[in-house]
Amino acid sequence: MKFGKRIKEQIQESLPEWRDKFLRYKELKNLISSPAPAESIFVGLLNAEIEKFNAFFVEQEEDFIIHHKELQYRIQRLVEKCGDNDDVMFREEIGEIRKDIVNFHGEMVLLVNYSNINYTGLAKILKKYDKRTGGALRSPFIQKVLRQPFFKTDLVSRLVREWETTMDAMFPALTWEVEGYERSAAVSSAAAGEGIFRNTVAALMTMREMRRGSSTYGAYSLPPLNLSDSDLVLRPRHIPSPIPIPY
Amino acid sequence: MEARPVQRSGSRELTNLARTSIPSTPNPSSAPEAAFMRPDHKPLGQQTYHLLSSSNGGSVGHICSSSSSGFSTNLHYSSMEKHYAAASSNDDSSWCNGGFLDFPEDHQAVHNNRHIEDGCIGIGAAFDDIQKPNDWQWADHLITDEDPLLSTNWNDLLIDTSSNSDTKDQKSLQTIPPQPQIVQQQPSPSVTVELRPVSTTSSNSNNKARMRWTPELHEAFVEAVNSLGGSDRATPKGVLKKMKVEGLTIYHVKSHLQKYRTARYRPEPSESGSYRSSSEKKLTPLEHITALDLKGGIGITEALRLQMEVQKQLHEQLEIQRNLQLRIEEQGKYLQMMFEKQNSGLSKGTASTSDSPSKSEQEDNKKTADSEELAPEETRKCQEPESPQSKRVKTDN
Repeated sequence: MKFGKRIKEQIQESLPEWRDKFLRYKELKNLISSPAPAESIFVGLLNAEIEKFNAFFVEQEEDFIIHHKELQYRIQRLVEKCGDNDDVMFREEIGEIRKDIVNFHGEMVLLVNYSNINYTGLAKILKKYDKRTGGALRSPFIQKVLRQPFFKTDLVSRLVREWETTMDAMFPALTWEVEGYERSAAVSSAAAGEGIFRNTVAALMTMREMRRGSSTYGAYSLPPLNLSDSDLVLRPRHIPSPIPIPY
Repeated sequence: MEARPVQRSGSRELTNLARTSIPSTPNPSSAPEAAFMRPDHKPLGQQTYHLLSSSNGGSVGHICSSSSSGFSTNLHYSSMEKHYAAASSNDDSSWCNGGFLDFPEDHQAVHNNRHIEDGCIGIGAAFDDIQKPNDWQWADHLITDEDPLLSTNWNDLLIDTSSNSDTKDQKSLQTIPPQPQIVQQQPSPSVTVELRPVSTTSSNSNNKARMRWTPELHEAFVEAVNSLGGSDRATPKGVLKKMKVEGLTIYHVKSHLQKYRTARYRPEPSESGSYRSSSEKKLTPLEHITALDLKGGIGITEALRLQMEVQKQLHEQLEIQRNLQLRIEEQGKYLQMMFEKQNSGLSKGTASTSDSPSKSEQEDNKKTADSEELAPEETRKCQEPESPQSKRVKTDN
C-alpha cells in the first residue's frame, strides 16, 4: 500500500515523457487481488513491463551517451576559446555549461532511480503474488530480472561519477557566500519547484519512506536508510552564517 | 556579484578540466580489452556465451525451445506472449520475451526447460555467419564493469556448484569450440554490441535486434561520421562500413545517427523534454532560482551546488540500495540451494523438518541478520549426515 502511493508520487514528480514508463503497480496489485489470479497472465504482464523498462532504459542510455560526448566537446571548445581569460562573455558560457552539467547529471541519476524503483516494485509485487497464491514465483523470477538490461545501471552510474569528478575539478567549493548559505532554506522549498531538482528530491524522500520500518519486514527486505546529511539538504534548517572568506 | 569568485578561477578550472577529464572515459583503449580478457582468461567463445547467458537469463535456450519444439512447453503462453508483445513493446522492439515464459506451475517443467536450454545451446552459440537473415543475432555484451559485485555474480555463475540453469549452460558450453571473432575486430572498439534476438513470432527478414551502445562504440561512431564529412553528409551505410563492428546493422546506425543529429542541432537543452519549453512551461530549477535571485534570493552558484548535492546523494543511496538488493537475492539463492541440498540429502524420516526451511524461506523472516541465524538453526536440526555441509554454512555465515 505504501509503495503504491510512493511510486505514484514518483511518477507524478517525474519528467513528463517518463510517466508512462514506470511499473503499473496498481494494475498488477488489482490482478493479484482478483479471485483467481492466473499465473500466465500475471507473468505475461510482468514480461511486458520488463520489455517496456528495457526499451526505455536502453534508449535513454543511448541518448545520455551521445549527450555525454557532446558536453565534453563543448567544454573542450570553450576551454580552447577562453584560455585563461576571464572575460565577461565567457563567464556566462561557463555558467551555462555548469548548469547543463548539473542538469545532465540529474537526469542520469533519475534514470538510475527509475531502474531502482521499477526493480523494487517488481520485487514487491512478486512477493505479494506469492503470498496470495502460495506460489514460489518470486525467487527465480527476480533472478531473471537481475540480469535484465534495465537493471544493469553500471554504465550510467559510471558517467554520473565522472561528471561529479568533473564538477569538483571545475568548480570546487570556494567560498561560502553569506547570503547564499542562509538562503538554502529558501532554495530547498523554492527550487524543489519543477524539473529535475524536484524529481530528485522526491526520489530521495520516497526512498527514505520506503526504507523506514515496515510491517512486513523479511529476509528480503532492505535495512533502513542511512542518510546522515539528508535533513540538511531536504529540509530547511537554520544554518548559522559562516565567516566569509575574504578574497 | 556572488558569482565572481567562482568565475575568476573558473577559467583556470576549465583548463584543469580539459586536462584531467577529456576524454574522461577511463582507459578507453584498455576497456575493450579488459572487457574481453576477463581475468580468468577464458576462451572467447566461452566468454561470449557466458555473458550472453548472464545477461539474457537463459532466454537463448528458451527461444530455441520455442522454435525447435514448437512451443511444446509454452503452448499456453504463446498467445499471451504475442498479445503482450504487441501491446507493450515498441514497433521495432525485439527483446526476447521467451525468457520469462518458462515459469510453469511446477518445478518439473522448469527442469525440462533447463534441459531444453542445454540442448539448444549448440544451436544458439554456433553462429558462424551473422549476416544471415535469420532470427539470431548474437554478439558479446562487454560493458566495462567496475562493479565488483556483478563480477562476483558472474564468477558465481561459472562455479559449478548450484543447479541453476546458468551453470548448466556453462557446463554444456565446455563442449563448444570457441566461436569465431564475433566481437574481435582489431580496428573497431568491438565492445558491446549487445543484440537481442528477434522474437520468433515476428518475421524472419527483420533483423531488428536492439542494441546497447557504449561510450567507446559511440566514439568510433563519431570518428566514422567525422571522417565522412560530418553528421550531415555521412550516411548510415558509410558509417556502418567505416566502423567495421561485427553485429552492427544499418538499422542501429541509422537510428543512432538520427539521435546524434538531433543532439547536435539542439546543443543547449538535452534530448529530453525536461527543459525545452514544453506545454507545461516548466522552468529548470536554475531559472526558477534566477527569478528568485532578482528578488534578492540565493546565488545561482549556490543553487546549483545544492541541486548537485541532492543528486549526488540520491545516486549514492541508489547504488547502495542496489548492492543490497543484489546481495539479498544472492543470499536468498544460496539459502535456497542449501535447503534443497538438505532436502535431497535427508532421509524420509526427517522430511517434516526439511519442509520448514523452504517454507520459512518464503515467508517473511526478520532482516538479513536474522536469516543468517536461520542457517545454523537448520544445521542443528539436520546434523549427522551433513557435517561438512554445516561447516560450510557456518563459515559462510
